[in-house]
Amino acid sequence: MDKLVIAGREFDSRLLVGTGKFASPRVMAQALDACGAEIVTVALRRVDIGNPQDDTLREVDGEKFLLLPNTSGARTAEEAIRLSRLARAATNIKWVKLEVTPDPYYLLPDPVETLKAAEVLVKEGFVVLPYINADPILAKRLADVGTATVMPLGSPIGSNQGLKTRAALEIIIEQSSVPVVVDAGLGLPSHAAEAMEIGADAVLVNTAIATASDPCEMAIAFKLAVEAGRRAYLAGPRAPADHAEASSPLTGFLRD
Amino acid sequence: MKSLQINGQIRQFLPQEMPSTLSALLEKLGIGATTVVAEVDGQIVRPEEFTRTAVRDGQTIELIKFMGGG
Repeated sequence: MDKLVIAGREFDSRLLVGTGKFASPRVMAQALDACGAEIVTVALRRVDIGNPQDDTLREVDGEKFLLLPNTSGARTAEEAIRLSRLARAATNIKWVKLEVTPDPYYLLPDPVETLKAAEVLVKEGFVVLPYINADPILAKRLADVGTATVMPLGSPIGSNQGLKTRAALEIIIEQSSVPVVVDAGLGLPSHAAEAMEIGADAVLVNTAIATASDPCEMAIAFKLAVEAGRRAYLAGPRAPADHAEASSPLTGFLRD
Repeated sequence: MKSLQINGQIRQFLPQEMPSTLSALLEKLGIGATTVVAEVDGQIVRPEEFTRTAVRDGQTIELIKFMGGG
């Protein structure tokens, strides 16, 4: 498969995986290995003083994966910038998945605050991957201020609804000057394949893998779906027709 | 008594038990330093600076780490 390039860095895998909601660190490590993910997202939270040794990421090898800290929990640009700076201070990782979600029910991203934060973070040297609604104009504005990707949602985070935003995603993909990573709402491998078939550069999946009965098998299924979708896109799929087009010859029938 | 506000909670220390640096505080709390970054009164402190970062009575300290997330 052709390589994914984000901010000048090459990746073989077009499947980004989130590390939340796994039943155990071991199951998470197995799933990450099984699907060949190279970029994995992580969150920043307060240390639980009552349980300071709790470390869900202990089996995630920072050498093997590019850890992509997110700004989940941020409700404003200011909070997202604070989290980004803390993440960079903790690890020297300059990459950040920028998310600003003021509404906890649908977790939809705030476009104004996201753009504001992106401008500041790009100026500070961050590689910014913003989580956005599927808004082509916002995607363009973000790319214009220098974000490394755009990450439009298929449907609300963790909802497993698939590509509810398909028409807008197609416009973003058509117009984007930066890689398009479809993030959020992909509940099945077929959703991921669909995103790749319409030309997304990559997808990010967490809930669908982490909460499956067998996360490792689901991770493999997503890997195969992403590869299948990418290959299909590169192979140049034909557009649907509104009538039949015979596959067999329309001559030489056994009748007069 | 001396006190620190750590991750939103006030903790009190006898003067002789008050940790003098961030790394001493982490040790006292049983927190491994490798996954943690801190904020002291709003200023970010990197892990490599913990040993030389003094802790003083009345400060607000945030201890933060990475965990699973999408």
